[in-house]
Formats: sequence, C-alpha cells, structure tokens
Amino acid sequence: MTQSEAASPETRKRRDRSWRFLLRALPGIMVAGLVTFICYGLGLSVPVTGFCYLIVVVLQSLTGDFRSSAVVAVLCAACLDYFFIPPLFSFRVSDSSDTLALIAFLVTGLVVTRLVSQTREAADSEELQRKEMTRLYELALQLLALEPGTAVGPSLLIPFRSQFDLRAVCLFDAETAGLYVEGNSRDGIAEKTRDAYLGRRNFEDPGSGLAVRMVQAGGRTTGAIGFEGLRDCRLTAGPLAALATIMLEHSLAFQRASHAAAMAETEMFRGVVLDALAHEFKTPLTTILAAAGGLHEAGPLRPEQRQLAEAVESEASLLEQLTTRLLRLARLDRAEVRPQMELIDVADILKALVDQYSRRWPGRRLSLNGITGATTLGDPELLRFGLGQLLDNACKYSRPDSDVRVSIESPGELIAVDVWNDGSPIPSNERARIFDRFYRGAEAQKQASGSGLGLYVARKIALAHGGNLDLDGPAGANGGTAFRFTIPLSNSEFDHDP
Amino acid sequence: MTRKFNVLVVDDEPPLRSVLRTSLSACGFAVEEAGSAEKALEIIPQRAFDIVLLDINMPGMGGLEACRRLRALTPHLGIVMVTVRDAESDIVLALDAGADDYITKPFRFGELVARLRAVLRRADSGDVPAALHAGNLEIDFERRLLRRAGKAVHLTPTEFDLLALLMKSRGMPLTHAKLLSSIWGPEYREELEYLRSYVRALRKKIEDDPSRPKYILTEPWLGYRFHNPSEDEP
Repeated sequence: MTQSEAASPETRKRRDRSWRFLLRALPGIMVAGLVTFICYGLGLSVPVTGFCYLIVVVLQSLTGDFRSSAVVAVLCAACLDYFFIPPLFSFRVSDSSDTLALIAFLVTGLVVTRLVSQTREAADSEELQRKEMTRLYELALQLLALEPGTAVGPSLLIPFRSQFDLRAVCLFDAETAGLYVEGNSRDGIAEKTRDAYLGRRNFEDPGSGLAVRMVQAGGRTTGAIGFEGLRDCRLTAGPLAALATIMLEHSLAFQRASHAAAMAETEMFRGVVLDALAHEFKTPLTTILAAAGGLHEAGPLRPEQRQLAEAVESEASLLEQLTTRLLRLARLDRAEVRPQMELIDVADILKALVDQYSRRWPGRRLSLNGITGATTLGDPELLRFGLGQLLDNACKYSRPDSDVRVSIESPGELIAVDVWNDGSPIPSNERARIFDRFYRGAEAQKQASGSGLGLYVARKIALAHGGNLDLDGPAGANGGTAFRFTIPLSNSEFDHDP
Repeated sequence: MTRKFNVLVVDDEPPLRSVLRTSLSACGFAVEEAGSAEKALEIIPQRAFDIVLLDINMPGMGGLEACRRLRALTPHLGIVMVTVRDAESDIVLALDAGADDYITKPFRFGELVARLRAVLRRADSGDVPAALHAGNLEIDFERRLLRRAGKAVHLTPTEFDLLALLMKSRGMPLTHAKLLSSIWGPEYREELEYLRSYVRALRKKIEDDPSRPKYILTEPWLGYRFHNPSEDEP
C-alpha cells in the first residue's frame, strides 16, 4: 500500500512536467538503436526491419505513456528511413512506394501506441478507483472502531487524514459553530469550508485537490467538511462526505442516548432521595406528634401549657401534611396514575377541600358555588389531590384578601370544576408550558415557592380519569386566572347478578 | 377502661419508643418496648401481651416476617402495623400476613389510641357473635338476615357473605385479595372489578347515602373496612 501510494503522486508529477516523458522513452530509444544495429548488420529487408521496429513501438507503449511511445514511434520511422530506405544515410525517399510504406509504418505505430496507452490509462484509473474503494472501506472500519463517545471534533478527523494521506481535513459544525482542522493546510481549508457552508454550495479545486461537501443529517444541512490533498476530487470527496455524515449522526445519536441514560440515572437518584426522605422525615415527626399527644394525656395541663402543646401538635401536623403532599406529588409524577374508581360525589370532595383551604388560608375569601350533587365514578384520593393542587395554586398565587372562587357544574356528560383567582394573567408565552413538568413561570417564581409539578400532576390525574385540565375556564372571561378541571359524568348503573 | 392492657411497642427508633411508652402509659396502657423484631419474638412468649405495635421497616427480620411468626405463635394477639404512607403494597402484605390493622407514620397520637382500642375491643368481645348491631343495621349471622332500621333487607347470598365477613371483622381493614379469596375463592384474588360492583350494590342497600358511606369504608388502594358507628365513643 505504501509503495503504490508513493508511486501514484509520481504519476501525477510526470503528467505535469513535460521533460519527464523523455526519460520514460529512454528504454525504447535504446532498444530501437539495438534493432537498427542488428538489422543493419544482418542486412535485413525494409519490411522485416519495419516489423521489428513495430515490436519495439508496441513494447514501449505497453510500459510507457502515449507521449513517450509516440517519440519512440517517430524515432523508429526516422531510423527506418535513414538506415534502410534508399538512398541510405539520408532522410530523403526516392521511391514513392517506400514513402507509402514509411507513412503506413508511422500511422500503424501511432495508432497502436494510442490504443495501448488508452487501455493502459483505463486500467490505471480502474486501479486507482479500486485503491480508493479499499481506502474508503478501511476508513469506514477505523471510524466504526472509534469509541462511540468520541466527541465531534478533531479526533473524528484523524482517520480521514491518515487513511487518504491528506494534507488537511476540516469540519464545520453549524450547530455549535465549531470549526475543527486536522493537519497543515496550505490553501486555507478552514475559510473555504466555512464559506462553502455559508453559501450552502459544494466547492472543488482539482488543482490543489481541495473539495468541500455539505454534511446533511435528517434532511437538513448541519455543517460542511473539507478535504485538502485529494488525488481525485470528483471520485473521492462524495463518499468521504457521506462517511463523515454517518459518523456525525452516529456520534450525535450516542450523545443523545447517553444524555437519556444520565437523565434516567438522575430520576433514579431522585427516587432514592425521596424514599430516604420519606423515612427519615416521618419518624421524628411521629415522635413529635406522639409526644404532643402524650402531654395531653399525661396530666392536667395549665391553659397556657395546653395551648403550647396544641401549637406543637398542629404545626407538626401541618409539616406532616406538607411532607406527605410533596412526596405524593413526586410519586405521582414518576409513576403511572391508575385510578381506583368508585362512586363518589365530586361536590362533596370539593366542599371538604374548600373548608380545608379556608382554614389553611385565612387571608383568602374562598367561595363554592354550583350544583350540590355530582356523583360519578372516580378515585376520591386522586381527585382530592388534583383538585387540592388547583386550590393550593389559586391561594398561593393571589393577593391577600382577594377572592378565590370555586364552582362546579355539569354541562352534558361532564363534571366541570372551575377554580378562579384574580391573580395576574399568565403571559401568552408561558400559557402552553404551564402544564409541563418542572416548568415554573417567571411571575410564579417571584411569588411563591413550588416544585413545578403541581399542574403537571393535576392534569395527569384528570387525564387518567378520561377528563382534562385546561387553562381559561369560562370563569376567566372577566380577568384573573381560571382553570377548568373536567371528568366524565358516569351514570352507568353497574350490573351484578341478582 | 376496665383493665390495664399490655402493649408491646416494637420500633428501632429509641426516641419514638420512649415517647410512645410515656404517652401510652399516660393513657392507661402497660407498655413494654422492643428494639427489633427478633427481640419482640423473644419477649412475647414470656408475657401475656394484648396487643403489639409493630413497625414494618426495621433492620434485621423486619415487621412483616415478625407479624407472620407472631400470628402463628399467638393467634389471639392484636397486631397493629406501623408503616409510612405511600407504601400501599407493604400494608397489603402486612394485612395478608395477619395484622389486625395498620397506622401510617406520622400519625396523631389520638388516632393511634383509637386504633389500639378498636382492635382490643374486637379481640375482647369474643370470636363470632350470633348477631350484631351497627348503627341502624342488625345482622343475624345464623339465620342470614339483615335488618335496616327494623326492616328486612333482601341480600343475595354473595352480598350477605361479603357483608357478614366485613362485619365480623368490623373496625379492621380487609384487603381486596382477602375478601375476594374468602368469598369467591382463591382463583378470584385479582378480580377487583367484581368486588367493587358488589360493594356498590351493598352500599346502595345499606347506606343512607351510597356516595358517602358510613358503614363500608374504602381503604384507598387496600380494600374495605366495616365501620360500626355505635363504637365511635369508647
């Protein structure tokens, strides 16, 4: 491989520099001299000598190129004329038939030379193609053997340069605007690659063997790759660019996969932390609650002692509720929500929740309107949690002493719960994202702390019931923020055997 | 309370154990402590305990295995498991392992005392009474009759069996699997929808407002519990 690699540039140089073909013609010239000497010495006739010269021309064209063979052919014709066609030792020709023979010899010699060298060139080009194919194949193998995590950058370009013996390789990654060059460029490969990308146009300069090709992934141009020192731009640049594209896609897919794996790991870590928290937090809380409860039982307390014991108990209970809610939220976020359906009255659940939140938020005026009976199939725990989340948000993101209105109605086959507060309207650019996991609006972050999970989980619960949770319930028509939580009204009488 | 009940508190957290000992003693219980399930199994045969408060999550053998062994050892011992919320599968396992009831951490002390008393009362009242009053319900197990506010209620045989099982274990949660396998047979353990439709039917017949049941209460994720409103005040 190395030998042929060394020889091939020679071929190129020989084509470029005209005097080189004379060197190639030298063996032919010498053999022609030898044939002249022998034929002259043996006194052979013109036709026989002519055929001998023809052999020399054919042999020369088998080893040399067209120009050197042509030189030998002309030389042989000259020798034939000078030494064998009368008058001897003169280039003149006296007989017209001899002139014809000489012309016939020259034409035959040149045609043979042309045909043979054409065949040779075709074979050479085929050989070159075969070699390029072999190199491409080996390059593909090398690229496949790279570590899958190899970053997009110079390390990816090394095999290209070494395998094709290039002066320089350059990659422009449009996504990161990264420009990577491997090797020593003489023709400004970096600028040409970037310019070609900016113009979205392949570039080719056969003189310096420089070619730039667009790198396309998923139907769009994601960058450009340039090669400098290619032997045959048209033949090789395309397949090389295709290989680079595959390699880049491969590398990106791997990066995406490792990102996903890292995310999964984080998720698992979160789960472990939550579980640990659940246990570590709840035992001391239980102890505090039991101690506060025990104080009551232990003996008659003075009124102020009783008050203090009650404060400990109620605050610890609050802490317990908060912890449980947060853990529940995290668990519902991670797990698939599977409602355990039973016959429930949504209006009842709502009434209990409004009472509970009125106590928890004495600074908000909570009101409940609408129908009193809304019986359907649902999971009471989940609905309590999901609707509670909406009430919690409504209280959290509203001004002190403002109204929080909750209403329930049953339009058609639905039960719809509207929760309204007079909080500032959600900006249009955030509207689509507020149900996203972990998303917290800019305004929301300023107003209160939160996990960014509440609305996501509440919607998950509504969807699991075959309903939905939307922003902009009809209650929001006159300003404020309104959410509408719907679940289907099931009036299906269950069957069971009598 | 007529007599002093013996309670064994099994928990690996010393502060919780000692607080429970003080608080429960103040409520009139005679309290013993054990720091592990192994220790509990060692102490229990030596003294006549009425009830055990058993933490599920403990290093070593753990509460579940201890519950199984205790049940085999002393069938009449009341067992209340202590667990953390959101661990429904643990609770189902505990109830199936023979626990009488469970309470989730963190609990209010008053709730714990009420649970302990309910289990003790049921254990105290003997095995199976011939008839039982609960609110305005009156059930006669032998004659398979149910009266609601004095009027006979027609129940299908399966409905009666289900109600009888729930009432016999009144105050105690029964898991879906336990109800299904007791009434319909072990091969029906997973047929949750079956059980739900029967419970709905029963509630329609015995509850004043089936959507707000006061007798057959749902234990979320676990099963059902029959609640006797007459036993609300200790």
